[in-house]
This record gives sequence, structure tokens and C-alpha cells, in this order.
Amino acid sequence: MSALVEGVRKALGRGGDVTSRVDGLERAVDAAQGRLPDEIVDPARHALEHAGQRLRLSADHTVVALAGATGSGKSSLFNAMCGLELAATGVKRPTTSWAVSCAWGPEGAGELLDWVGIPRRHQVSRGSLLDSSDADQEMHGLVLLDLPDHDSTEVSHHLEVDRLVQMADLLVWVLDPQKYADAAVHDRYLKPLSTHADVMLILVNHIDEVPDDERESLLADVRRLLKQDGLADVPVIATSATRGDGIEQLRAQLVRRVRDKQTSRDRLLADVEQAAARLSSATGHAQPGDVDRGDKAALVDAFASAAGVPVVVDAVERSTRTRARQATGWPPTRWLNRLRPDPLRRLHLSLGSGEPGPAARTSLPEPTPAQRARVDTTVRAVVTDATAPLPHLWATAVRHASVSRLDDTGDALDMAVAQTDLGLDRRPLWWAGVKWLQWALFAVTVLGALWLAGLLALDYLALPEPDTPDWRGVPFPTLMFLGGALAGLVLALLSRVVAGLSARRRASAVERRLRSAIAEVVQDHVVGPIQAEIEAYRACRDGIEAARRR
Amino acid sequence: VATDDTSTELVGVLVRLREILVNTDLPLQVTDVEDVRRTRRELIDQLEDYVLPRLLQIDAPLLAVVGGSTGAGKSTLVNSLVGRRVSEPGVLRPTTRSPVLVHNPADAVWFDQSRILPDLARTTGAPGGVGTLHLVAADSLPAGLAILDAPDIDSVEQANRELATQLLAAADLWLFVTSAARYADQVPWDFLKTASERSTAVAMVLDRTAPKAAREVGSHLARMLATRGLGESPLFTVPESDVDENGLLPGEAVEPVRAWLHSLADDAGARAAVVRQTLEGAVRSLSHRARAVADGAREQQDAAAMLRTEVVRTYDDAVQAVDTATQDGTMLRGEVLARWQEFVGTGELLRSLEERIGRIRDRIVGALKGRPHTAQQVSVAVESGLETLLLEYAESAAERVEGSWRATPAGRQLLDQADRDLGRASRGFRASAERAVRDWQGDVLEMVRAEGADKRSRARFLAYGVNGLSVALMIVVFSYTAGLSGAEVGIAGGSAAVGQKLLEAVFGDQAVRRLAAQARSDLRTRVEDLMALERERFLDVLDAAVIAPDAADELRQLSRDIDDARLGVG
Repeated sequence: MSALVEGVRKALGRGGDVTSRVDGLERAVDAAQGRLPDEIVDPARHALEHAGQRLRLSADHTVVALAGATGSGKSSLFNAMCGLELAATGVKRPTTSWAVSCAWGPEGAGELLDWVGIPRRHQVSRGSLLDSSDADQEMHGLVLLDLPDHDSTEVSHHLEVDRLVQMADLLVWVLDPQKYADAAVHDRYLKPLSTHADVMLILVNHIDEVPDDERESLLADVRRLLKQDGLADVPVIATSATRGDGIEQLRAQLVRRVRDKQTSRDRLLADVEQAAARLSSATGHAQPGDVDRGDKAALVDAFASAAGVPVVVDAVERSTRTRARQATGWPPTRWLNRLRPDPLRRLHLSLGSGEPGPAARTSLPEPTPAQRARVDTTVRAVVTDATAPLPHLWATAVRHASVSRLDDTGDALDMAVAQTDLGLDRRPLWWAGVKWLQWALFAVTVLGALWLAGLLALDYLALPEPDTPDWRGVPFPTLMFLGGALAGLVLALLSRVVAGLSARRRASAVERRLRSAIAEVVQDHVVGPIQAEIEAYRACRDGIEAARRR
Repeated sequence: VATDDTSTELVGVLVRLREILVNTDLPLQVTDVEDVRRTRRELIDQLEDYVLPRLLQIDAPLLAVVGGSTGAGKSTLVNSLVGRRVSEPGVLRPTTRSPVLVHNPADAVWFDQSRILPDLARTTGAPGGVGTLHLVAADSLPAGLAILDAPDIDSVEQANRELATQLLAAADLWLFVTSAARYADQVPWDFLKTASERSTAVAMVLDRTAPKAAREVGSHLARMLATRGLGESPLFTVPESDVDENGLLPGEAVEPVRAWLHSLADDAGARAAVVRQTLEGAVRSLSHRARAVADGAREQQDAAAMLRTEVVRTYDDAVQAVDTATQDGTMLRGEVLARWQEFVGTGELLRSLEERIGRIRDRIVGALKGRPHTAQQVSVAVESGLETLLLEYAESAAERVEGSWRATPAGRQLLDQADRDLGRASRGFRASAERAVRDWQGDVLEMVRAEGADKRSRARFLAYGVNGLSVALMIVVFSYTAGLSGAEVGIAGGSAAVGQKLLEAVFGDQAVRRLAAQARSDLRTRVEDLMALERERFLDVLDAAVIAPDAADELRQLSRDIDDARLGVG
């Protein structure tokens, strides 16, 4: 919860419609920042700041601005409302060069007017005047502004109007029979403010100059144009400052709004609505999906191939087989295996779980252009899938996010592979068993050989041969020598087969572990950023929804 | 106005100018193009509506266009000047929907559609709708003077504003109507500024002014006119007065305006002076504005050239990148290397060269094991590697071009107009890349076969080894860096060296070098062709939105020609 929303809370009391809508807009703006062009996001942020400032100021006052073309009679109306000749009137155009304010009632309007930007010398307070009447009493809290024109040759007037139109709580547009159809007011102000119907009044002034029988059709025409602007519901009052038509109606409207003190809040909500609507038209109404399982698997495949996983897995299988042979081979030929280099050592991969180690770079082959291309193509395909429903601007943001961390992916992959436990220091128990058995068999063979050698020596020396026990006619030493050797060889062969199977199993276990390590890298470097963008899109949409919920 | 020669010359130049302008439609969205487009449109309109007709018929009646704001009382003024209701006034804004041209019956022939304002259909009985010009013959107007009641210049109806601009550009004289409430408005003064810049003849009418304010407002307006370069223009004040049952102002209210117009109509000299002033101003501004359009055309060409450079460079880079990737030995890793080593290591390469029996045995073994022949596997690995590479470079090139196009307004517009998504490689690219790689492999095979056929003694020997040798040649191609043989490029070269040795033994090293170079350039050509097709997708879109290359120069030249001809006239 930001300071701004906190401020709004304080100003309005806990909870409530305004807080949640301002909060929604703020979330949408934060999510859109940097993803949508600044010319769309900045006005929304400005509206937020403006709302925060206005809410901190007097809620007892309602700032009403009289705006209109030069010669439409704003100043005369202003004077009629104030009952004083405060604003200059005349036939020379443009007459009013600066905004003048008149405040009724309680203190505190000064600070508000300072914020609005009306210099002290152009501020008048009705409360300070002596002729305070009942009529004035019910106007307490009204701050009426007489704005300069927006259509004369004096460009500085237009800028002042543009500024004050942003500040006022209630906008009273003064049209007149000559100028009511001017593009200057409709295209520049009314159409863009179509969200502000609740805080707008339209006066058709100088109504006394229109023949009686044509008034109704004139007002109907004004309403037709307002409808075109999207302001069909705005009250239209026919007035004449000189003759007094409609002045009471206008006063009643103002009194009502001053009394219920809702206008500043309504204006704020209209601003929020307008900003949210603009954001909404830039974001669209897409329902983006997440990166699905199939996409992730495809990414892991591509990255695994680029990270050399098949090479490692292959090496693990061969290495396991070599070590198994070293452990379980026939002792007399076992040393031959040592001459073969361990394929894993050649890749500089850690052989065991032990310490994760200072993860030196592995010597896995660099990915080939084809592998890299496969990675890029897969990432692009995933992004295209994920962003298909998004508006173009946002899709571009996702695309940028998807490649933002692709450059350091190489190292991360290498690290993932280097730190994965290949489990090669675990020696299966049966290796040891077979090893002992082999030694035992070898010992039997050697004993048999020695025995035979002893018999041979006795024979050579023509000494009497001791009784040699036999088994079904085969002498024990011969049986030991030949049987031991044969059994050793058979055992070695059997172990080789079993080792092959277990090597394959171990290789696939390693492959699983490597792929899950790579899946993490993929998640961190590719899927994560993509999901963050999609999440931001959802947050922006949610914020907009919340900001527009009535 | 002028001697016939120079006038004819000027007409010739202007006709040519119009032709070029019509053809130069400024389709690309560049900065400020809207302004230039509007200038172009206005130039064409003014040439057709006013300058050319006026130059050809210098004796035509003077056309006074009554222009001004909505609600200033233009229609009432025109009706009162004519003395009967020819234009419908009303309290509802904006009022005048189809413009009304009032002329003396004798002048009717001059206002035929073929002569002036050619894009407005003429109506005479009842006023027509949008896009028509209502002609009214009235005896009360003197011959030699016509009055056109134009739509307003500042209402919400954009069509009105545009038509008013067009009609004012066709006027010999502006009768500019404003009112006490209006006279300081910005929009009318923007128009008057244009009039002042083009030295168009202007008469101001201050309408609907309360008698007591007339003096003050009148003098303020006169000051404003003077400071804006229109001090010479006559200023008439029409006091606010009640209209009669026909909606006409009392005669004395409009008498000064009427009298001035009549005196203008009667005095051929004064009339010609007004016509000349406006016409010369218009021609001068034509040359000026033609230069603005020329600048706009130049910007279009620059923008198009930039977009084109971006496309060409990106795809050249893509070809270059594929080229680099296929010859720096990096292709010879991973799958291709594994398959090649398998091929060499199992002795299959040599076996494949030896005898028919080896080949047949391999086939049988292959069939039993369900695996293809290993030479086949190498070429499949090569194929899929190259294909992936091509696809990725095509994709990334498309993405890069789209990205850089999207960064400019013109590029954005073209991408949005395109009927397909240009940010991805074309849909059939994978298939065509596959075909290209296959064809290349076929060519390499053919090359080896042809080379072998020359060497008669080994013909039989080679008949069986073509597959193996062509695979060896591909491997050599991939390690063929900067003319060095495979041995120099490290590990990859090491494995290629076997292939190289073998090939050299069979063909001799001259021939191997030649074959490798040929295979490489063949591959490059195919890659270039593939990428060219991709590139064309962008260039087609761009070409559809390009103006004639010499339009800018020609416009500039015509602008100078106008100045020359104009000086001749003066």
C-alpha cells in the first residue's frame, strides 16, 4: 500500500469506493510503467498525484469553474452569482485575462486556491463581506472561478484554461447561441472529458437573444452535439445574465453540490475513470495463458542439448561401466582398464556429490550454432504462444523479457551441469562383494596353481606323491586352478552385463537430475521473466478493472 | 494581367505541377506528414479550383467568397446583399451545408463545373447535399461579380471546415464575416493570417454588433487588422438589427457593403486589380508551398530509403552469419561431429569405399537394427543442423527488421497495413529451407559423382563410395576457413582431416579445393536465395508505399520555374 493510497484513506476515512479505485489505478499504472509508452502512463500517474493532492486539501469546499468561449458571458454570470461587479465585462474581446475567484463561507479556501493557482489579489471571499444573507449561507463552501477564454487569439489564456480545467471540482461550460457548435470547445474539451459528465454543467447563455420559438430547437441541438461528445446526461440550463433566466436553477445546482460535498470526490473518480479508460484501450482485454508444461519441456530439451547434457549422460554411462569393470573385472586383466581415461574427468565434471566445489568451468563443448539456434527458436515460439492474445506493445515487452537474461544463461547452464551430483562416488555394494569374490576365486586359482606346482616339483624330484584328493576323478588342485579361473572369468562377464544395465540406469538418473537442474535455469532465466511480464499484464488489467468498478 | 507568352508558360508549368502533385500522394507516415498532405491537397484544389481557371479566363467575373465563423451571420448577410432569400440561415449551428453561389444571369456560363471548382456537382433548383454547389442567378447582383456563401470555418463539422478552406482558396476576394462576440477568436485569425501571407484581397464585415459597442469593437478590430498586415482591407460594420419576414436585414444596414461591391463590379480596372492581387499572391504562395511539398516528398524518400537499408542490411547480415557459422568449424560439433566420428570410427567410411559387399551388409544391418546407414545419418545431422540454423536466422532477421521498423512511424504504418505478420519468418520457410539443404546435398553428391566419372580408373571404386565421399566433402566444406584446409582449425578440423585426406587421395588436392569452394559457394547462393525471398516480403510492402524517386527534385524545379515565369509576368 503506497503513501498515496494511505493519504487517500486518511482523507476519506477507512475503505470505501474511492480508495479501492485509486488503489486499482495505482496498481495498473505501476504495472504499465515501462511497458506501455510514457505518453499513456504519465497522464494516469499525473491523475493519481492530482487526486492525492486534492484530497489532502479542504473537502468542505467545492471548486466550480466557469469556462467558455470569449464573449459567452462567463464574467457576467460570475458577477450575477457573486452579486458584485468583480470580473471585468465589456465588448472588447477577449475581456478576461486571468482567472478570478470568489469563495463563500468557511475559512480554508485560501490554501485550496493557492494550490489551484489563483493569486491572492484575484481572490475574493464572500464571508468577509458584510452583506452576508441567507442566500449566501447556503452557498457556504462554494469557490467560484471565472476562467479566461479558450478560443481567442491570446494563446496564454488557453493554457490557463487547460490548467484550471484539471483543477476544478465542477466544470460549468458556458455556451452561447453563436458559438455553441465550435470545434474549439467540443473537440478540445468536451469530447476528451466525456468521462466527466457527473461533474459538469452546461449553460446556454445569452438565451434572451434567441427568439422564443427557436429556443427549444436550439437547446435540442445543443443536446444533440453533447450526445455526440458522449455527454448525453449532462444537465443543460438556458441562462441569461442580463435578464436573470436560469440563474436560480444554476444556483440550486451549485447549492446542492456544495451541500452534499461529493463533487470533489466525483471529480476525482471521473479522473480515475478517464485515466483507466485510456490505459484500458492501450492494454486491451486479453486473457493471456501461462507458459504451459509442453512449452517448458520444449525449452528444457533445447537448453539441455545446448548445455551438452547428452554428452554428459553418455560420459556417465561409459564412466560407470569403466569403473564397474575396474571393480569387478577379473583381477589379472583388471589393470588394463586403468589405461583408459575416465570420460568424465575429461569433461572436468565433479564425480561425486561431496562438496559442490568452487564450480570451475566445465570443459563441455561449446554449443554449436545449430544448438543455439534451436534455443532461440524455441524461446521465440514459446513467447509467440504466450503473447498471442496480448496487445502488440505488451508482446514486445514480453519478448524483451524473454531474452533479457539469455546472455548469462550460458554460465548458469554450465554451473547447473557442473554442480549436479553425478553420483559416481557411490559404489554399489555388489561391486565390493564381487570384488572379494573375485579375489577369493583368484586366491583359489593361485592356491590350485601352487598345489599343482608343488606336485610338479615332487614329481620332478621323484619324491613320492602324497595322496591327492579328488572329486569324481578330477584332482582338487586342478579343479581349484581351472575352476577358479573359469569362475572368475564367468563372474567378470556376468558383472559386465549387470554393470552395463546399472550404468544405463545411473545415466538416466543423472539425466533426470541434470534436466531438473536445467529446468531451474530455464525457469529463472526464461520462463520467470516471461511470467513476470504476463503477471504484470494481469495486474494492470486487474487494476484497471478495480479502478473502473462502480 | 500578362503578355500571352509568359502567361502560357506559367499555365504550362502549373499544369505540370498539378500532375506531379496528383501523383505524389505521400503515403508514408513520417513526422509532420499530415501538414504536408494537407498542403498538397490544398495546392491541388487551389490549382484546379482557382489558379488555372483564373489564368485561362482572366475576364471571368470576380468571385467574392463570404467566409467566417459559424453564427457570425454569413447567410443573412448574403441574403440581404442579394435582396432575397438564397441561403438558409438559422439559429442551429452549423448552418450552411451546401455552399450557394449567387451570380448575375449573364455570368452563368462562367460557373460551369468544367470551368471552376470541378469537384463540386452543380445544382440549380433546390440546394443539394454534401459535395454540391448550389447556383442561383439573381438580377440584383451586377454582372462581373458573384458571391459564394461558404460553410463555417470553426464548427464541429470537419467537412464544413475543409470545404470552407477549399472555397476560400478559390476566391478572388474574401468577404470575411465576423461578429462582436467572434472577432478575437483564434480560428478566423489563422485564416486571415494565411490571406495576409498570400496577399489575398480581403474585406472584413463586422456583423451582429450592438450599435453602442460598434465603435469600440470596430476600432479594436481595425487595430488587430493593421497589426496583422491587413490594414489595407476595407472594414464594414453591420449593426445588429431585426430581420424582416424574409430574414433580410434592413437595406441601410448592408448598404455600405453592397455599394462597395457594386462599385467594384462597375469599375473594370479596380476589379482587375483585385483579381491580379489575389492571383499573384496565390501563384507566389504556390511556388512556396510546392517547395514544402518537395521537402515532404524528400522526407518520404529518405524514410523509405532508411527502411529499405534496414531490411537489406539485416538480411545481408543473416546471410553472412549463416556463412560464418557454416565455415568456422562450429557446425562440426555436437550431432554432426558425433555422427561423423561414428562413421569414421566404425571404419564404415573405408568399408563403404571398398566393396559392394560392405554396402550390402550395411544395408542389411541397418534394416535389422532399424537405423539408417551411417553416411545417411551424417547427412541427416548436417541437414537438420543447417535447417535449424537457417530457420533461426530467418526468424531473428524478421524480428530485427520488424523491431527497427516499428521504431519509426512510417515502419509502424507499413507493418500495420501488411496483410500478414512480418515479424516472423514466412510460414513455408522451414519447408523451403529443408528443400534448399536437400538440394544442396544432392548437388554435392552430383559433384562428387561427376568428378569421379572423369577418373576412369577409379570409376568402379567410386561408384560405391559416392555417398561416403560426398559426406566427407560436406565435412570439409564446414571446416574450410579462409582458404585454409581442415587441419588448421583445431579439433573440428582434426576430424575433417580424415575426410580431407581421403578426398585428396581419391581426387588430388587441387580438385578437393575446387570442389569444396564450389560446394561452399553453392550453399551460399542457396542461402542468399532463401533470404532474398524473406527480404522481398518487406520490400514488397515498402515498394507499395513509395513515391516516384524524382518527385522531390521535380517539384523543386517546378517551384523555381513558377518563380521565373511569375517574374516574367510581373
